[in-house]
Amino acid sequence: MPIFLKLFQFLISGLTTGSTYALIAIGFSIIHNATGIVNFAQGEFVMLGGMFMITFFTVLKIPMASAFCLTVISVAIVGLILEKGPLEQARSKEILNLVMITVAASIVIKGLTMILWGKNSMTIPAISGESPLLIWKAAIMPQSLWIFGVTLGAVAMLNVFFRCTRTGKAIRAVSANRRYAVLAGIPVNRMLAFSFCLSAALGAVAGILLTPMTTISYDAGVMLGLKGFSAAILGGYGSMTGAVIGGILLGVMESLGAGFISSEYKDVLAFMILLMVLFIKPSGLLGAGMLKRV
Amino acid sequence: MKNHVATAVFLACLWIFSGMAPAAAEPIKIGAFFDLTGPSSAIGTPTKLVAEMVVKKINDEGGINGRPLQLVVADDEGDPTKAALIAKKFTESDKVAAIIGPTRTDTGMAAKPIVEQMKVPDFMTVGGDVVIAGGKFGPFHWTFKSPQRTTIAVKKIYEYLKRKGLQKIAIITAADGFGKDGKAALENLAPEYGVSIISAESFQPTDSDMTTQLINIKSAAPDAVVCWTIGKAGAIVAKNVRQLDIQASLFQCHGLPDPNYIALAGKASEGNIMPSTKLMVASQLPDSDPQKKVILEFIHLYQDVFHYDRQFPINTHSGYAWDAIYMVANAMKKAGIQNEKLRDAIENTKGYVGVSGIYTLTPEDHNGLGTDSMVLVQIRDGQWKLLQ
Repeated sequence: MPIFLKLFQFLISGLTTGSTYALIAIGFSIIHNATGIVNFAQGEFVMLGGMFMITFFTVLKIPMASAFCLTVISVAIVGLILEKGPLEQARSKEILNLVMITVAASIVIKGLTMILWGKNSMTIPAISGESPLLIWKAAIMPQSLWIFGVTLGAVAMLNVFFRCTRTGKAIRAVSANRRYAVLAGIPVNRMLAFSFCLSAALGAVAGILLTPMTTISYDAGVMLGLKGFSAAILGGYGSMTGAVIGGILLGVMESLGAGFISSEYKDVLAFMILLMVLFIKPSGLLGAGMLKRV
Repeated sequence: MKNHVATAVFLACLWIFSGMAPAAAEPIKIGAFFDLTGPSSAIGTPTKLVAEMVVKKINDEGGINGRPLQLVVADDEGDPTKAALIAKKFTESDKVAAIIGPTRTDTGMAAKPIVEQMKVPDFMTVGGDVVIAGGKFGPFHWTFKSPQRTTIAVKKIYEYLKRKGLQKIAIITAADGFGKDGKAALENLAPEYGVSIISAESFQPTDSDMTTQLINIKSAAPDAVVCWTIGKAGAIVAKNVRQLDIQASLFQCHGLPDPNYIALAGKASEGNIMPSTKLMVASQLPDSDPQKKVILEFIHLYQDVFHYDRQFPINTHSGYAWDAIYMVANAMKKAGIQNEKLRDAIENTKGYVGVSGIYTLTPEDHNGLGTDSMVLVQIRDGQWKLLQ
């Protein structure tokens, strides 16, 4: 195999994994934009997306399109419960406390999933079949194209939503200063609930798209969440475009590292680049530079 | 007055019962720890269920010379630290006569120094050989394992490759204890069978995409690809092999024959070859096979009596706990539960016909299985077929 073809194939493989990281990273960014907290249950939303899809599509035999919608709604409801329940009821609204609540929620979700769905890995068929397409002699799965497409579509729509619509601007206002947002007449609680639904729904979409390629099990959320979180940090926490760039960069670095250096150290290489970026530009590649020293 | 009578009667009863208790056969405790949660829970949980099944069977048939067995179950979560703590608890506070488990090679290595020090026989159900390898891996006087040695599975694959004249192979192995064990065996045995490894790649068992490594393998153009891992990673490798249109046949290790593998890999599993216990192809075995009767009895109990297959369909691992407990129980019947005597009796097991093979243990070989205990199976039309 000629070297440039090999490189091209590595890039495709990196772009595929990278866009799944990006899709998860966007979910982190949405919640950050509304509440300023890091939602460590984001990976569980992704895992639940796969699990609900398996139940609706494989077990209950609902057609794929309706099963997709039902899954997104179900996971959005889980997100709503998380926000309306423990997060809104918490006495202290300290960021650190809220973050710890999301950590606890992720453990609870993982445990319940283990009880309800069992311990086996599961999968669902790919949306457009499993035979690879050949582009310029390099193989690419149709599912990868779905993931690229959905990631780009989601980030474009979210950018418009947060910049141009009243609701989107209101959510950003809540994040900037909750007290002033209340004074300006913004229904803060409704905005927070909405942002959790949105981010859970997006996580569900990521889970549905990922499952045919990677399979899903109750404990898959932690690793997915970690990679998505790293991608979000790399791109600049809170920035939608940054999340996409960070995700794709992380995926491509992993793939090139595994391909050309050593498959044993691919994660090491990817995370070293993450550390280097953070040393040079602590706010991430596209970060707004709002970090304050205390 | 009435109260005094009641107290006296109560005390009398207490005295009678406490005097009677030892006569009513005190149970023999066996510690059993597996991955009930964590990355190998899909293997560990059914192992525990089978252990409970065997213990019930042995007790129904009269126990150990009249004394019932009692399992003390624990979950090591696949974590070596927890495994070491549980081994300590079993030997120090539970005072078990013998131990079954754990599930993973890494947890087995963590528990081994403790059982060796406390002098309690431990029949492990781990895949890797290092637990009974000796040398730099420490003594294995008290440690046994029921699953086939990695080298047996490797020999089985290499015999086939040699027969088919496939010489150049690529290997892709997991970067955990089990995968490294497989890699070492693949590399050590290759010259003996005239096989040359032209490409060696690895991956983390939690990885979700191995295309990059397989691109390197594809460009090396091997005759066959051998993958060494357990769990879902094996299915992802199969999918990626198909995705990259690699024509060389894919061999998986002896840890993957499992209906769930076909469910996860789907069409990509078609044609895959792997060494397996005879359990996967029981109905295709010739009647002359001495194990057939035991295997069919095991399947009957597992599926028709206990209905474990509703949650965990039978896979190649299912029989290992059965064999481990039976060998320990047989030794107890012969030699009692004094630790030195029990250990010697286990080590003297000769020709035990089990679900996973016919075991003949020696002081050097604490596994006791040969290449005749395994068969090669191939997936054809989503079914397991015995490969002649």
